[in-house]
Amino acid sequence: MDLNEVIKQCLEGKEGAWQMLVNTYSKRVFNLAYHFAGSYQEAEDLTQDIFLKLYHSLSKYDFEKNFTAWLLTLAKNHLIDTYRRTKWEKTNRDNFNENFLASESAESPEADLVREADRKIVWEGLDRLSSDTRLAVIFRDIQDKTYEEIAEIMGVPVGTIKSRVSRGRLELAKILQAKKEGSDEL
Amino acid sequence: MNCERIEELLSAYIEGELSAAEKSLVETHLRACRDCTLLYSAITDTRAALSGFPELEISETLKSRLSAIPERKRRFRFSLDFLLKPSLQPVFAAATVFLTLLSFYLFNPDKKYIDRSIDQKIHQGYNQVEKLYAQTGSLTDRLGDYKDSILGSIKNWKIFGGKKDEPKQQEE
Repeated sequence: MDLNEVIKQCLEGKEGAWQMLVNTYSKRVFNLAYHFAGSYQEAEDLTQDIFLKLYHSLSKYDFEKNFTAWLLTLAKNHLIDTYRRTKWEKTNRDNFNENFLASESAESPEADLVREADRKIVWEGLDRLSSDTRLAVIFRDIQDKTYEEIAEIMGVPVGTIKSRVSRGRLELAKILQAKKEGSDEL
Repeated sequence: MNCERIEELLSAYIEGELSAAEKSLVETHLRACRDCTLLYSAITDTRAALSGFPELEISETLKSRLSAIPERKRRFRFSLDFLLKPSLQPVFAAATVFLTLLSFYLFNPDKKYIDRSIDQKIHQGYNQVEKLYAQTGSLTDRLGDYKDSILGSIKNWKIFGGKKDEPKQQEE
């Protein structure tokens, strides 16, 4: 069924339409919240808040626009607002291995171990990025969105997104370098 | 080209977004600078790490919480519907007036004087009530006196065996 049709049915209160939206977008929104906040519990609460906002704002949706970008903008605004209000940067992210099980790869076990260690450092390093930079990096390097899509979601020019992504990668790379050098010295 | 400028270009270089001239400058610099080569390698490792974060499945609890949002909202709306009944409008109007007056009293800078004048009025009222009560008591006493004298004079009437007409008979 066409997405706009699903939204119209949602607005009419038809059963099943809302469920369809939940099935289509809940995983995407939850993963965005989880990568941003770093806590599973927090991400569940944030996802629920974002869907509550979606439910209330659905009547304001402009059918000419891209719904996915509109929903992710709503999610982004909520995440940044909550971040500014509660200052998550002071809280710790979940233990990396708690929710991210090692993914299977074709590489050797040693290479897998190195990759796993890198992931852990980068996961913890995400906490050090500002909210805007963190979101830009998540959209680009985790969710694999184009710069144009990210610019639409974030409501800023493509150039700004490129410089945020570049800055975020540099910061994370320097954290990774520093940690690796630290462990090599030991 | 210095290392700072190369740092700025590395991300675009990795994504193949540089012009041929810039690309050549970066590559020349990387061949000569060990620090920038290490940073380049760290950025590629960072990207690989980020793209390796798996997408998590959402829990069944969260899914059911999200699915229940319209139902919960509908129930909440129904539970508050009684507040919109027209019959409650005078109650809300009266409550509004009362709360407005109360707020005038509570937030008035001269609240102390208002309290004192209310106290005085209450005392005055109480005194008046006491006076009225005392007057009512004396009135009752006077009514009792009138009753006794009226009863006494009635008893003296001849018709009731009294001596009221006696002087007349003596004259006859």
